[in-house]
This record gives sequence, C-alpha cells and structure tokens, in this order.
Amino acid sequence: MIQPSHQRWHSQDTGAGSPSMLWLHGWGHDLQAFKRIADLFNGIGRHRVFDLPGFGKTPMLFEGASSMDYAEALAKQLDSDGEPHIIVGHSYGSRVAIQFAARYPEMVKAIILISGAGLPRRRSIFFKARAFALKMMGRAARLLDRLFKTQFRQAYITRFGSADYKAAGPLRATLVSAVTENLSSQAKQVKCPVLLIYGSADMETPIEVGLRYEQLIPIARFVELKGYDHHDILARGAYQCEAQIKSFLRDIENG
Amino acid sequence: MTTKKVIAVVFGGRSVEHDVSVLTGLQFIEALDPSRYEGLPVYVDPLGQWWTGEALVKRSLYPVDSVKQKKLTQLTLDLAAPANNGPRFLTFQKGLMGEKRGEIYFDLIVPALHGSNGEDGTLQGLLEFAGIPYAGCRTLGAAATMNKVFAKKIARSDDIKVLPDLVLKRPETGKFVDPESLEAALTDAFGAANYPYIVKPCNLGSSIGVSKAVDLDALVAALMTVFRLDSEALIEPFVANLCEYNIAVRRGESGRAVSSAIERPLRDTDLLDFKTKYLAGGKAGGPKLKSGPSEGMVSLNRSLNPAELSDSQERFIRSSAEQLFELTSLAGSVRVDFLCDSKTGELWLNEVNSIPGSFAYFLWEAAATPLSFLALTSLIIEEGFALSTARLGATDTASGGANLFAQA
Repeated sequence: MIQPSHQRWHSQDTGAGSPSMLWLHGWGHDLQAFKRIADLFNGIGRHRVFDLPGFGKTPMLFEGASSMDYAEALAKQLDSDGEPHIIVGHSYGSRVAIQFAARYPEMVKAIILISGAGLPRRRSIFFKARAFALKMMGRAARLLDRLFKTQFRQAYITRFGSADYKAAGPLRATLVSAVTENLSSQAKQVKCPVLLIYGSADMETPIEVGLRYEQLIPIARFVELKGYDHHDILARGAYQCEAQIKSFLRDIENG
Repeated sequence: MTTKKVIAVVFGGRSVEHDVSVLTGLQFIEALDPSRYEGLPVYVDPLGQWWTGEALVKRSLYPVDSVKQKKLTQLTLDLAAPANNGPRFLTFQKGLMGEKRGEIYFDLIVPALHGSNGEDGTLQGLLEFAGIPYAGCRTLGAAATMNKVFAKKIARSDDIKVLPDLVLKRPETGKFVDPESLEAALTDAFGAANYPYIVKPCNLGSSIGVSKAVDLDALVAALMTVFRLDSEALIEPFVANLCEYNIAVRRGESGRAVSSAIERPLRDTDLLDFKTKYLAGGKAGGPKLKSGPSEGMVSLNRSLNPAELSDSQERFIRSSAEQLFELTSLAGSVRVDFLCDSKTGELWLNEVNSIPGSFAYFLWEAAATPLSFLALTSLIIEEGFALSTARLGATDTASGGANLFAQA
C-alpha cells in the first residue's frame, strides 16, 4: 500500500519550461479556485495546479495532518534537484507555501500569497472573552456527553461551529490545527522574495495579517487590492492579481 | 514615480442593454493595469443622470434606487475642457449648508455602453465636440455599424457576403402594418414570399426584439414588436440549420487589423435572443449581478475555435471581419457576427458590435497569440489617446486663418 504522504496529488498540468509555478488553493476549495488566474499565465512557463490532500480528487493525508505535514507531502511531489519553484497560495494554501519555503529554501524561488492565512488575528477583549466562554462550553458539552451519554456536543457544534468546521468531516482535526497555528517563526525563516496580496474588504484574512507578514518576512512586498474580499479576489480580482504577480516576477528576474 | 492616468469608464445608460453594460463597465475597471491607470466608475442611470462613487463597483448595488443613490455622488460632464486645463466632471452633493460643488479631473473616457445612446456614435460625438479624449470607435464608425442596414450596405459595396433584406419604416401613429402592401414588398425584395423570415430592429444590439415569423400573421406581429423599440425594421430570410460565429477585431501593433479566436455560441433555441445570451444559467427576470467576471457574455456557453470550421470558412470570417473593420474605420475591440447554414456551410456577415459585451475579451484570451484582458484594456486606452490626439490637433480659428473679428 502507498503511504498517504507519498500518494500523488491530483493536478492540472500545463505549459513547459521555466518558471515552474505551483498553485495551492484554499480551505474548502479545489484546483478550480485558480482556474481564472492560472489561465492568465498560459504561455509563461510550466504550471501545476494542485488539489490539496483531502480536497478535490486528492485523498487526505491522515487525521490531524498539519500545514507542516502538507508541506512535507508537497516536497515528495517535486523533483528535489529540479529548478526552484514559484508557489502561489490562496488562504490555507499560503500556510503550506510558508511552511514549505521555510523548510526547503533551495526548492523555492519565490512565493505569492493571496489572502494568506497563518498569523493569529488581533481580537478585541470582548471577542476573546466570548471565544473563551464558548470553548469552555464546548468542553463541558463533551464531558457531559461522555458521563451521561447525552448529545450536547453535536448541538453545540450545530449552534456555534463555523461553516468550515461543520463541513470539514475527517479533516476537522487539520482545520482546528490550522486555525490555532501561528506561522511567525516560519515566516522569519523565509529566504525568498514574497508577494503578499490582500483584499481591503477581506473579513477572513484582513490586510492586518498581510501587513504583519510583511514585517516578519525578510524580503516582502505587500499589496492591497481595494474592494475585494477573501473569495472574489480570485474571480473578479483575477486581473489585478495577474498584474501584481507579473510585475513581481519581472522584478525578481531583474534582480 | 509618474502619476497614474485617470480612466473614467462610463456604463449603464439609456438603453435596453443597460444591465449588460453595467457588467461590461465593471469588468473593464477590474482589468485595468494598476501600475498605469486608476479607474473612475461613472454610472449613467436609465434617466440619464450621471453618478460616481466607490459603491458602484459592487454588483449588489444594482438596480440603483433612490436609497442607494445616497451612497453616490451625482456629476455632470464639463464640456469646456480647453478652458479648464483638461477634461473634468463637476460634482454636487446636497449637504446641510446647501449644495456642495466639486470637480474630478480625468484623462480619458471609455464608453462601455451598449446599444442606443452610447454605442451608436452619440456619446462619441459629444466627446469630440468637447475635445475630450475617449477610447474605442470614433463617431463615424460607431454610427455606421449601429445601423444594421447601413452596415450591410457598406459590406455589400466591398463584396462581403450578407443576406438580402427588406427595410420597413414604422407606420404613422394610429396606423397598423398593412398585410397587403407588406406581401407586395416581400415579393419585390425576395422574389416570392418565402417563409420563415427573421425580423429585427434596425438599430439595437444584443438580439433584443429579434423574432422569427413563420407566416404573414406572425410577421405582422413581429413587426409591431420591433416598432415599439425602433423606427425601422429589418426583414431577412431565415437561415436554415442556423449556427452563428463571432469574432473580435482590433488594430494590431503593426497598424493592420487583427482578429481573435472564433466562437460558436451554444444554445437550444432557434435564435440567440436576449434571454439566452445574457441570462444563460440564470433565472429569467434579471441578469446575474452577483458573481465575478464569469458573467454577461462571458457566462454564455460557447465553443471556442470550433473544429467544424473549414480553412476556407475561417478565412472568410477573418478576412470579412478585418475588411469591414477597415471600411468603417473602427477602433477598440469590436465583435463581428456571422450567420451560417451548418448543412451547406454557407456564411453571411450579420452585424458589427462596436462595443461588444465584456469587450469580447474572452475571444482575445483564446486567440492564437493569447491576449489577456489586462493587456487589452491598456491597448484600448492607449489607442484612444492616440486617436483623440490625432484629431484634436489645433482647431482654434486663428490657426486656420479664418478669424473675422479683429483681435485687439
């Protein structure tokens, strides 16, 4: 039997030559998420648009796999002595890109994060207090269920769980590890140039996250796209992303 | 750092294609190169009032009612551009202390209006009059191609194959179409009455008001429909086994007309009517204004670079489209539509859209040398600047030696 981490990821491969671009989609998406943007790079190098494990047609890694495990599994998809890659990640895909770039600097030429996640958001005291109370409530529900065989936990999830959490199924543990992880130290280790693209109307990964990444990553360029949110940045924002990515790539080529 | 050029994209408008134009305009703004241009959305509402504001870029704003208008700033175009160091809009907002006036300077207008009052040369004429640079077709080309009958006459004059036709004027108020004289006119135009016929308004795009008539009664009914929309109706023979092919044309870097990929719109109905064209995949009743760029002409099912076209058919489509582009001195990205009898393979040039839905960018992205919408918007804008500069030149009376009044 093939080890889950050695399983080939399903991908859409186009083009040939240099540069080699890898596209990593966000949570709950599949490779279709990059359909519009990746198409705009037709004729420029080689592209592999992946279904991340557990999404689209790629089987999941294992229960509780973290973004680090995803990065390790990505390394197994690639030729280690080949040309270094340019990685484009959206949302969760950005976590994998950061982890990968920190761990395998020689395999990465540049990374581009679109609405990249991975740093805890600044929250108000009110928000933190509410989150803490909810967490305790969830634990209490689980304890009661175990002691008295009640169904409180399920009711709790239905009432308070996020849409992603409810839909996560066997990937739930991976989602929980992602939401609580902090990639600050990995971000500091990234050696390659990084382009950070954030939408000003993004409520999930607000520009504040991108600005903090810009401070942590040694070579980073931050761009704010006015009026775009976490998802439509990939659709109606495709051309703005294209323009930013192309000028970033030109600047890298010219040193 | 050089300052970015402000590009005012005008959309909406007093036209039956108002909603489609909103999508075309927003898509153009979203595809502007951020390193060179800054987009200024300008919305013309169905009453002809002009508005701007950041809220315009959200599709959820439409339709704009009186409550939503409060988020916008009303403006008018200042026609005295030479007196004010360049083109500008004048804004006014109602405040506590009465009306507050302001001005917004811009560099170029991109008309993204479809159909009457925008695609037909009227806005272009106004802009030329005011000496304001704009993108796309000039007055002459826009007006010539908006009138289907006139466009066909030009095509015929240069041996581009088009269908025979009969043009009827709207009867005087209170009168109806007279079936007897109609039959006589049909015989005159086509030899003998040979149903079915296709009836279209002369001056509208987007297949609005187009219908098929299988007999005289249906023809009269179809004409009445057209006369509610237009003062002239165009009757053409129905093409059996109809399929359509569209192609986009623009002026290439070498100065010659170049053409894009060819598309065959996919549909079930006999005619590509407005509903199939713009409401594809959505419910009839209103265009989808929620999602991303996959909307309007873009969301229509199509076959790009269809395999069934023979080399000679493709040559005919390309050469006639490019030829007509030159004949009518067009500019920007225009779309030329063809009709085809899929059994015999016979092709006819059907019509020209000087401002096609979504600027036909999907045809350029699928071209043999792909051109991204991002690059296309820049080409359209720079061409607009060049054309306007070429025309504007020196126009004051003194430069032509035509001053009658002595200068003190």
